[in-house]
Amino acid sequence: MAISRQAYKALESVTGSKYISEDPVIMQGYKSGPGGYEAGLGYERVMTVLPAAVILPKDTEEVQKIVKICNRYHIPYVPYATGFYGPKTHCHVDDELIIDMKRMQQFSWDEKHMYADIGPGVIYSSLQQEAFNKGCYGVIGGGGAQCSAIANLLGDGWSPLSLKIGLPHRRILGTELVLPDGEIVRMGSLAGSDDPFWGEGPGPDLRCILRGFTGLRGCLGIVTRMAVKYLPFIQESPKPQGIAPNTSLALDEKRIRWINYQVPTKDDQVKAMYEIGAAEIGGACTKVPVFWRAIAKAEDKEEFWDIWLKESEESLKNFHLVRVMLIGYASEEQMDYELAVLDDIMQECHGKPRRTKASDESWLKNADSAGMWLMTGSYVSVEFVIESLNQSVQHGESFAALKASEYTPPLFPDFGDPGWFQNFESGHQGYSEFLIYWDQDEDTSGVDRFFLQTSKMNIENNYYSSHLGPHQPLYLTGPQYGPNYHLWLLKVKNEFDPDWICHPPVPLAHDIFVQRAEWMHDMIDWEVPEKFPMPSWTATLTKEA
Amino acid sequence: MSMINELEKLVAKASDKAADLEVYAKDMSMMPAGYADAVVWPESTEEVSAVVKYAYENNIPVVPVSSQTHMYGSTIPKQGGIVIDMKNMNKILEIDLKHKFVRFQPGVTWNQMYEELDKVGARIMMPFTPLGNRSVLSDTLDRCVITNTVYDYGEVTQSLEIVWGDGSVFRSGSGSVHGFAADNTPTHGLYTPSRGVDPSGPGLDFYRIVQGAQGTMGIITWMSAKLELKSQIDKIYFAPIEDLDYANEFLYKIMPRRIGQEIVLLNKVDLATVIADTVEDIPELCAKLPEWTLAIVLSGVKRRPEEKIAYEEHYLTDVINTTFKDISLKPALPGFPGLGRKLLNILKTPWNAPSWKTKPYGAYEDMFFIARPEKASEYVEILSKVVAKHTYPHTMIGAYIQPIEHNRACQIEFTFFYDPANEAEKEEIAAIVYEAGVEMMNNGAQFTRPYGNLVPVIYDRAGGYTATLKRVKGIFDEKNILNPGTLCF
Repeated sequence: MAISRQAYKALESVTGSKYISEDPVIMQGYKSGPGGYEAGLGYERVMTVLPAAVILPKDTEEVQKIVKICNRYHIPYVPYATGFYGPKTHCHVDDELIIDMKRMQQFSWDEKHMYADIGPGVIYSSLQQEAFNKGCYGVIGGGGAQCSAIANLLGDGWSPLSLKIGLPHRRILGTELVLPDGEIVRMGSLAGSDDPFWGEGPGPDLRCILRGFTGLRGCLGIVTRMAVKYLPFIQESPKPQGIAPNTSLALDEKRIRWINYQVPTKDDQVKAMYEIGAAEIGGACTKVPVFWRAIAKAEDKEEFWDIWLKESEESLKNFHLVRVMLIGYASEEQMDYELAVLDDIMQECHGKPRRTKASDESWLKNADSAGMWLMTGSYVSVEFVIESLNQSVQHGESFAALKASEYTPPLFPDFGDPGWFQNFESGHQGYSEFLIYWDQDEDTSGVDRFFLQTSKMNIENNYYSSHLGPHQPLYLTGPQYGPNYHLWLLKVKNEFDPDWICHPPVPLAHDIFVQRAEWMHDMIDWEVPEKFPMPSWTATLTKEA
Repeated sequence: MSMINELEKLVAKASDKAADLEVYAKDMSMMPAGYADAVVWPESTEEVSAVVKYAYENNIPVVPVSSQTHMYGSTIPKQGGIVIDMKNMNKILEIDLKHKFVRFQPGVTWNQMYEELDKVGARIMMPFTPLGNRSVLSDTLDRCVITNTVYDYGEVTQSLEIVWGDGSVFRSGSGSVHGFAADNTPTHGLYTPSRGVDPSGPGLDFYRIVQGAQGTMGIITWMSAKLELKSQIDKIYFAPIEDLDYANEFLYKIMPRRIGQEIVLLNKVDLATVIADTVEDIPELCAKLPEWTLAIVLSGVKRRPEEKIAYEEHYLTDVINTTFKDISLKPALPGFPGLGRKLLNILKTPWNAPSWKTKPYGAYEDMFFIARPEKASEYVEILSKVVAKHTYPHTMIGAYIQPIEHNRACQIEFTFFYDPANEAEKEEIAAIVYEAGVEMMNNGAQFTRPYGNLVPVIYDRAGGYTATLKRVKGIFDEKNILNPGTLCF
């Protein structure tokens, strides 16, 4: 069933016929997958549908009109920028409209006050280059440089550079949000003026509804404008070098350099991170999954497997790297100072520097999402959590143990590697991320189960988790965090979207997924309400279990 | 049964005696007095929750109070009800040097925090001269701007424990994990791997909604906040400033290079008042001081502190020699021997109440906002023009500029000193603040912490924000019992 003719015409009147379509071929372009983040999993199969139509507004006024029409005609809609975040950012119910924001590429820069004022269609690649040109830099999240910067900042936004730069939600300044009912709220300094340079207030900070650690997947409105804070960097922009796809940034090592240290034990590795934080040096400091080294070396999938399968649990158990980026923000003399401090720390931690290229392949400019699924075609970060370094270290180990004991295969073998961990904000926080890979041609039910099992493990072990809100069943995590954060989240949802027009059935989509997916039923051991607290109309539009 | 009898059953101590209520009826501001019907002094989260539940069920306003000095009228009970004074909840629950945070209750004062952290070689980022008897939690939640400008992270707030308007207890951030308790420390055996150091989530950024809320959205019963290790060496430098625009251009140049820790710009009235040993010294100091003084503290931290200070000094010398020859940055301000040590101490420690702002005449009114540094002189000019229309002397106005976030913004604070017995002067100052405030808003000033007679103007101008804020307030405090009459509620 399509969107009614009357409603479609109303939508068409907003953007003109050029920027709205229900052509089945175009709709296929908005299908979740076939590769990438969470591709081929049960959630994608069970929860996503093709859109009924797609519309591309050019500005906030058009977005508001579209949303109001959707409310008038009860057309469910989902905001969509670059669609990296896999199936969760795609349509979940029949007759749904995608509001594609990619035309909204407004972009201005305040060099003196170090922020960019952008629309949701602006991607990181151009933003970071402009930042470099102005002597600034920001974080490109794992989604990659082709991601919408706004979308990424609403749900992610960290990288090894977060050692210095810190948490993403602090970089969100004046922001304009079209609420699910079509009302517009401007936050921070935009609230009372057209100047976006400041993020807070007045009074209580409404940025509380923009995200909650890892975002709401667009179920609480559409951000149409955001000022994004950038941080001062060195004043000479790093120079691109190489031929695609083997490109990188050449680094002037007097001002910026990566150094890899090999240390004898994991304890030394962790100690080095604590000490780097305490000494307040460094622009990045990280221990990434070991198989990323194989990805970096390989030119293709086959070569990756050739390299990776030479490893073993024994070889990984004794291999401990700390990768550090030093930045002489002020001068070469600062670089000398930081090198001397780092050398002191590494001597205490028995670290030996390894040969490191004078270039950056990933974190400054590119991130690396394309390479991330090179090996199997699909992956998901089953956890990426910011807490203490204390939690980060234990967390990855527990994930690796569970994976090895019960879930490899279907998951890709990583020989017990606990994944990625590092310190954030000069050691005030730690980070851990655990990525899993699978072959889409095989039975992936084990992947779905592992994802849910880790959520239960987090609860059991008192771990904080990024996978709250719509990322896991809300009625599983809700009572266990806060407690009962889910009830407050649902109150906010119902206040601003009483008819659940905006991206239904998020934030209860994962609850519905486990109800529909038979292979998940034996895992449901939490209290599930007889009827989910959503308007009844959503049940008629969603797929039957 | 009377309210006080009910309250006595819920908390360790409660009172409805007039003398006790009088304490909360007024503060240092010009706001009119207001009287509560009762005051309680809870000693635990459970007691706070029980009082709020009682108030919720009976539609009684509650006003949370944590500090022992109040300046801006936000804790005056405007519609009666119950004052919840948190001063007996004054424990520092844990100090974790490894993960650089401190978790504490709302009654912990700046003096207490400073002393306890100093013992273990740590410090918390402070605003300029926070009053020693004020609550660290209140000032932090109120987004008082810190003097230290070098850390990219900006704000120090991490996890919170919140009592919402229906009395339910909630933890935000990573302290929200199952099993996290108030005594969640390694020595108590309730230690969770999650230490409460991430402010975000769960699900929503709940901590944002209680920031800047002046007790209207929830009552905080503990907070985790970042701390830093104490610096090993500190050196202070001064530059006399006559041209504010030139000084700001200098700061635009050096601060993005992450040079300096505490950096402040004070006009001669503020600086004289801060450093004067007696009231009588103030006029003489004012006459001798430059129009503005820039103070920059360089600090060496845990490792190789001398080398750190050296590269920062060399950088500053380079910039001054090549681009800012008119900046005379020295370890001492000419004509003021001993000022370095004195101001360094002032910048690094809380101020014992009463505020230095009471020195000249006994009372003061502050006006502060966020702005672009390049516009600072414009705001000074606006104020001069407004003041010129009144009889209040321009020479009595203090001014303080606090750079923020590598100088991409600043807080500008003007202080009007007055005699509290002089009603005409008070009225005149109120008029100046209003007129100048409106004109400054017209020119881009952001009053993000709304107080006093500018509150209605601020919220009128932010119509969409105000409307949305009221909807959110309706969720977390559906009966509007939390500090009603404050902000736009």
